[in-house]
Amino acid sequence: MALEELSCQKCESLLISRLFCFSCDAFQPFPSEIDYFQAMGLPIGFEINYEDLEERYQRLSLVMHPDFFESASEADKHLSEKASVMLNTAYNTLRESTSRARYLLFLFAKGKNLNDKTLPEGLLKEMFFLQESLDELLESGDVSALSKMNEDLRGRYKDIESYYAPLFKKFEGSPEDSEILQQLQTHLNVERYLRRLLDRIPMND
Amino acid sequence: MAYSEKVIDHYSDPRNVGSLDKSDENVGTGLVGAPECGDVMKLQIQVDPETEEIVDAKFKTFGCGSAIASSSLATEWVKGKSIDDAMSIQNTEIVEELSLPPVKIHCSVLAEDAIKAAISDYKKRNKD
Repeated sequence: MALEELSCQKCESLLISRLFCFSCDAFQPFPSEIDYFQAMGLPIGFEINYEDLEERYQRLSLVMHPDFFESASEADKHLSEKASVMLNTAYNTLRESTSRARYLLFLFAKGKNLNDKTLPEGLLKEMFFLQESLDELLESGDVSALSKMNEDLRGRYKDIESYYAPLFKKFEGSPEDSEILQQLQTHLNVERYLRRLLDRIPMND
Repeated sequence: MAYSEKVIDHYSDPRNVGSLDKSDENVGTGLVGAPECGDVMKLQIQVDPETEEIVDAKFKTFGCGSAIASSSLATEWVKGKSIDDAMSIQNTEIVEELSLPPVKIHCSVLAEDAIKAAISDYKKRNKD
């Protein structure tokens, strides 16, 4: 799929990625503003086809990798480095649902004045309590209690992840509704606290 | 990222870790969190109701080295201060004392918020 209304500055073919033209094998001038979706040549949105993302990443890294530009002009060498860094960051951000959701929220929230600290009532208290309980479990070495807690936390983590897609879909339908973004922000805040707990449990290594 | 010596000192030897009796009416508890990183911090103060001086302080923080050091330092600083003086402690003073890098400034903000939350909890419980 080509990007809407984006064509190569040299040969005018439609671009797959804003970074590189496959028709004439040329880097594009590095855009001053580029988002990770444009780098991958994907439409902005939460829904993503992972196989397609993987394929695009492989294909683009193959043509842009600095190893292929060792004897190229300084300008192309430089572009290959810059574009490859961009490509890797874009790929790593988009391939995982939470970081993709966080990034999308960052794009959509621009100029919207969201409160980035919102949490459900009582959550902080609960997280502190869970952290203390986890301390005790880790100290006691009670493996079955620990794995029970781990399962519960993972379940909640999965629940949080399952909210992203429907909320972004809802936002697509009513892009003026900041409340939807605020809900996403709240879920993504909770995600960090849960992640912190999960990271402390050795069986998740 | 390298931690400063003072952060390492507080992190490896945190001051005033623990809890005060929540049911004691002279105790104020502040519980705050940083959604940027998932840190949670509890800071408690024990106040002498006659002099309004903070006579003891304890903390417990689940977070990175800078968050632990910031709250450890905060408990040291509030002890012996009047609640009004403690209220005016700024996060920038913590940043300076611990040489926190820009990405860790939110840890010092958390500690300042925790002090303020503990004091307002104490005040709320001792309104009359």
